[in-house]
Amino acid sequence: MILSFFDETFRVSLQDLYYLKRNILSILVTILVTPLLYYVSFCYGLGSNVNDMEGVSYIAFVIPGVVALSTLTSCFSSIANKVLAQRIYYTSFDEIILCPISPSAVIFGKALVGLIKGMLGCAILLIIGLIMTDGLHISLLLIASIALSCMVYSLLGVLVGFLSNSLTTVIMFTSVIIAPMTFLCGTVFTVSSLPVGLQYAVSALPLTYSTECIRASALGWSFPVLSLVVVAVFGVAFFLICYYMLSRGKI
Amino acid sequence: MLSSGENTPAPYQQLCEEVIRAEKIVVKFGENVAVDHVDVNVKRGEIYGFLGPNGAGKTTTIRVLTTLLHPTSGDVTVNGFKIPSENKKIRRMIGFVQQMISLDKDISVKENIICHGYLQKVPKKDIQIRMERISAVLGLTPFLNYTVIKLSGGWKRKTAIACALMHDPKILFLDEPTAGLDTQSRHMLWDMIRQLNSAGTTIFLTTHYIEEAENLCDRVAILNKGKRVALGSPKELCDKIGRFAVEYDGDNHVRKYRYFSDWDDAKKFVATFGDSDSVLLRRTTLEDVFLEMTGREVTTDFVKVVRI
Ligand SMILES: Nc1ncnc2c1ncn2[C@@H]1O[C@H](COP(=O)(O)OP(=O)(O)OP(=O)(O)O)[C@@H](O)[C@H]1O
Ligand SMILES: [Mg+2]
Repeated sequence: MILSFFDETFRVSLQDLYYLKRNILSILVTILVTPLLYYVSFCYGLGSNVNDMEGVSYIAFVIPGVVALSTLTSCFSSIANKVLAQRIYYTSFDEIILCPISPSAVIFGKALVGLIKGMLGCAILLIIGLIMTDGLHISLLLIASIALSCMVYSLLGVLVGFLSNSLTTVIMFTSVIIAPMTFLCGTVFTVSSLPVGLQYAVSALPLTYSTECIRASALGWSFPVLSLVVVAVFGVAFFLICYYMLSRGKI
Repeated sequence: MLSSGENTPAPYQQLCEEVIRAEKIVVKFGENVAVDHVDVNVKRGEIYGFLGPNGAGKTTTIRVLTTLLHPTSGDVTVNGFKIPSENKKIRRMIGFVQQMISLDKDISVKENIICHGYLQKVPKKDIQIRMERISAVLGLTPFLNYTVIKLSGGWKRKTAIACALMHDPKILFLDEPTAGLDTQSRHMLWDMIRQLNSAGTTIFLTTHYIEEAENLCDRVAILNKGKRVALGSPKELCDKIGRFAVEYDGDNHVRKYRYFSDWDDAKKFVATFGDSDSVLLRRTTLEDVFLEMTGREVTTDFVKVVRI
């Protein structure tokens, strides 16, 4: 049962894996440019004027934050665009629906490439981060937090790809929801420095919790298990909506 | 999951004469009724044709029969399995070549075909060999490494056909398979359809080429504005409106048609025209039936409209 689920997931993702293999370099460049720019501008540009934050150097504070935001940016838009294109413009998504494969495998199969891309990107970012500062710890918890975040934002990508009916919708969602999320969710400064109203808004967004988990595990702080659970709950919610749409033929 | 049980057909299915049975399908898009109480019953091993003008609802009906679209109302069973509760079992045995070519345009022809093999759960060891053999017979071998986006339209369609054949479906749905194909490929495809059919594959086909339906199909249904307006073998349908057709020039070069069941009546009618008139007496074709059933476009004075 479990085995056949993984097998089906792989079958669904094969198309995207071929694409990934063919374009691996350009994909990596695309997902790494923005976080690397953040590294440069926050660590060297801004960071030289900022004192220690929460007891660690600003560089050590920012790097896990940038890793967290890159789990969102590298997974979400590519998946949302891909699913939308396959659904509306190529109609090749129909071919996947037409196959004897369970809806959950279809959803995870589409999200799998995001997970792979996101993990690759984060690995590179962490390696660069390790060179830049010696305050980072690589642990199993860190890897698990990153993997979970990548999965959740890939699922969000699948969901938005299902919900939208044109490229404009995806672009709008990206600039209205995703872009503010990357800045406000405690990635490059603490949530507590925001106005109170915004703090409430931000606490409804999953990236806040991803950042907490990734930062705590990377800096060796006590791990916020509850935050990890919240991230997972977001993932389950995204999955369930996708599942509902797919199994009811509402896409 | 009883995966072993899924493949053993129940006795009922073996006996079931009608592989596709759809009763009173209705599909509404908002206010627009795309399919209006259409019945479809396709017998095992036949080639069933679906004809109709643009927007008649052919594609929409096929999408319902292939489990892609949930109808607003209506009951559909395919090979004894119900839609939507037994979709997964239905999907195992159908192949579908869509009107809008549905390939992943960013990867190569070969990768598309292989992915289809995997998605349709063709045994892993067979995928490569099937891919090579099917693309060889369709003449795709030189293009296997092309990205789909770089192919010409006809080759894209052939790739889509190759994909649909990967799992040797029991029922093959072809939505305008020959649109955009050259004459050679079209003839090849017709032969392929006949061969697959004689080897037991049930074929459901839509087309705008009436002579294609006339040559290939055991039965055709004609759809107009979401309603089924005729059903029968091409010959039956021709007999219904009259086996003999007389066409003649009306006012302003607009062709007119009359149909007769009786040869002598037709002769008599022709005799009422003088020698100079361009009158033609011939057998009724499916195209005549089609135009009678779906209505001819009202021909206006084009010259006046075009030359202002
Ligand atoms: N996704 C959709 N949303 C809204 N309306 C649709 C949709 N798909 C089809 N329609 C409408 O349903 C009707 C039937 O369309 P359909 O594509 O089934 O026609 P068709 O017989 O296949 O025509 P053609 O010969 O041009 O392919 C049309 O009026 C069309 O506008
Ligand atoms: Mg159509």
